[in-house]
Amino acid sequence: MQPQKHILAFDDLPILLRQWLRSKAVIGPLARQDQPGFYYFDWIDPADADVERLAERLASGYVTTTIPPKKAFFPTRETLFNFAAAGPVVPKNEEHQEPFLLIGVHPCDLAALSLLDTAYAHPPADGPWRKRRSPATVVGIDCLPDQYCFCTSMETSGSRDACDLFLTPITSGFLAEIYSEKGKDLLRGIRTEPAQPRDIQEGEEFLHKKEAAITLSLQAGSEEFAEILDTVDLTEVWEQTAQRCYSCGSCNTTCPTCFCFDVEDTLDTNLTSGRRYRSWGSCQLLEFTLLAGGANTRGERRQRVAHRWYRKFLYLYKQFGHSFCTGCGRCSRACTADINIVDVSNDLIKRAKEKR
Amino acid sequence: MVVPGLEVPVDYIPQQVDVLNVIDEAPGVKILALTAPQGKMTFVAGQFVQISVFGYGEAPFTICSSPSQSDSFDICVSAVGRVSNALHRLKPGDRVGVRGPLGHGFPLEQVLGRDLFFVAGGTGMACLRSVIADCRENLSDYGRLIIANGVKTPAKRLFAADLQLWHDDVRTELHETVDTPDASWQGRVGVVPDIIKDVDFDPHNTVAFVVGPPVVFRFAAQNFLNKGVEEKDIYFSLERRFQCGVGKCGHCQVNDLYVCQNGPVFSYSELKSRSEAVEATLPDN
Ligand SMILES: Cc1cc2nc3c(=O)[nH]c(=O)nc-3n(C[C@H](O)[C@H](O)[C@H](O)COP(=O)(O)OP(=O)(O)OC[C@H]3O[C@@H](n4cnc5c(N)ncnc54)[C@H](O)[C@@H]3O)c2cc1C
Ligand code: SF4
Ligand code: SF4
Ligand code: FES
Repeated sequence: MQPQKHILAFDDLPILLRQWLRSKAVIGPLARQDQPGFYYFDWIDPADADVERLAERLASGYVTTTIPPKKAFFPTRETLFNFAAAGPVVPKNEEHQEPFLLIGVHPCDLAALSLLDTAYAHPPADGPWRKRRSPATVVGIDCLPDQYCFCTSMETSGSRDACDLFLTPITSGFLAEIYSEKGKDLLRGIRTEPAQPRDIQEGEEFLHKKEAAITLSLQAGSEEFAEILDTVDLTEVWEQTAQRCYSCGSCNTTCPTCFCFDVEDTLDTNLTSGRRYRSWGSCQLLEFTLLAGGANTRGERRQRVAHRWYRKFLYLYKQFGHSFCTGCGRCSRACTADINIVDVSNDLIKRAKEKR
Repeated sequence: MVVPGLEVPVDYIPQQVDVLNVIDEAPGVKILALTAPQGKMTFVAGQFVQISVFGYGEAPFTICSSPSQSDSFDICVSAVGRVSNALHRLKPGDRVGVRGPLGHGFPLEQVLGRDLFFVAGGTGMACLRSVIADCRENLSDYGRLIIANGVKTPAKRLFAADLQLWHDDVRTELHETVDTPDASWQGRVGVVPDIIKDVDFDPHNTVAFVVGPPVVFRFAAQNFLNKGVEEKDIYFSLERRFQCGVGKCGHCQVNDLYVCQNGPVFSYSELKSRSEAVEATLPDN
């Protein structure tokens, strides 16, 4: 859909934010008090929201959050249902899902939400994801890259997937692209001007400048990389990477497209009621594929390291037609062993080409 | 392709059913009869259910009763961990949670008219009993029904009454073996895949269904292939530790396949190039 494009004055964003906070629950990027310069997505308390600072943050391009915004729809730990251990009742989880607004999502993370929409909609669709996701409204915003970003290689730098409204800061204000009725509704009550050709051009220049600032790149496209992983024996790279990896799982935890989970029951202290919950899983942990009797199909670290690449760049690529990597760089930023996904991938690509 | 029912989102909430009966089948193994959710259980032999004991968790078990029985169904449970031990403590009248039937069972429609060779190793018969019952109820649809059952010791034989029935019935050919005999055992001693070597059968018209630990898979596949059975005609039912049972949580992934959703029954031709299918190692750290 060709979006309608409007100009939203910078001064109007705080007004708009206040309006949004009054009408809906809002999740957006907040500054970490404990770690200046780092951000996290969370509910914004309408009572003491600093909308001026938030607007400023959105206008100036905050750096990527450590934990991706997928947690708005797939909480790190979520109750599937409550139960009474002794009695026959399994009440549905009564937590009511109000439609909410997720704001300030960068293009790579919009692409990730769309990938998760695809994966979780694959039959049978995941109910808990759908319950939160379908009534939500998403506002995207353009960003400035750092040295870990490689969205251009994954073709997500200009993504407008999964968003209802997208904002790009330009000289005359925000270039606001409207992608849905919900997105249009968000601008109601604020006077916006239709964007002029030079505004639109400035928006494009913003994207080009951003793309030019990205320093990392994968040396193969998604299709070629999938083919390499499928056909070439790259054991030596897995082994070398495994020698550095701690199997800490941070790469999974920070990834916006990882969607595996663990399910567990917990009993309340009264021992008669409890709940079943799911929490984010990690294929890098040894227990992930533990089988009966202590055997393990990925008991060796190199197998787990390899699986992360195979799953993202081959299996899910084959299943859904997209690599499940957006180039956000979070896994590389988070890795305590300084394992950079681009370096390893390029090493794989280089060795594969040598072997041919 | 949209499979009917799959467009309904899964909320992971089990239905509650009653435990009708509990039978001590062998040391550490019990058979639980459960009421069918909403009064009716329609399934293909080889499909599994996710069974919950609330507070302990959920685990997959193959339905071991015949598909023709629909108002209740049986599962055969080895006590190995949290859920299975909790199941062993249940009495008639207790309640458990059920999701399913899930996954793909044995492809009986594709093997009509063929000779069927069933190989169960260890507790594998828990998974094969349903499909054997189904075939016996529709004898005219198949050729020979050859059954090989191998357990560690005679005490570990499951479904002794069925084994006796299959032994006595001229239309089923039962071969049994144990690894370690005791004074009660008159029969064969040795590993179950060796039975494949010793039975005379037509490899081109035979379809194999194998359930057992990885070592049984390996040698059964080898022996069937040596006899000339085609790769696509050798089927295995794989076990992994499931969490979601519907292709979402990633725990059961064997390379690009989800055992819970694409299986648990797979042909050897699907598995042979997939390194994670039978390769399991003990932990390196
Ligand atoms: C499709 C399918 C069908 C199945 N059908 C049947 C069936 O018909 N009958 C049947 O009895 N089983 C069946 N199983 C196997 C059954 O689901 C598993 O045994 C399941 O794990 C039992 O759950 P649990 O909670 O009792 O065991 P868990 O607590 O999950 O433990 C299972 C095993 O893991 C090991 N283990 C657990 N925790 C640890 C740990 N921390 N470290 C090392 N090892 C550990 C234990 O040795 C134990 O053997 C089937 C499995 C699948 C996938
Ligand atoms: S694999 Fe790394 S770079 Fe790719 S989407 Fe996940 S966290 Fe981002
Ligand atoms: S974050 Fe780094 S060290 Fe931790 S599991 Fe991932 S690759 Fe290994
Ligand atoms: S058990 Fe969750 S994907 Fe198979």
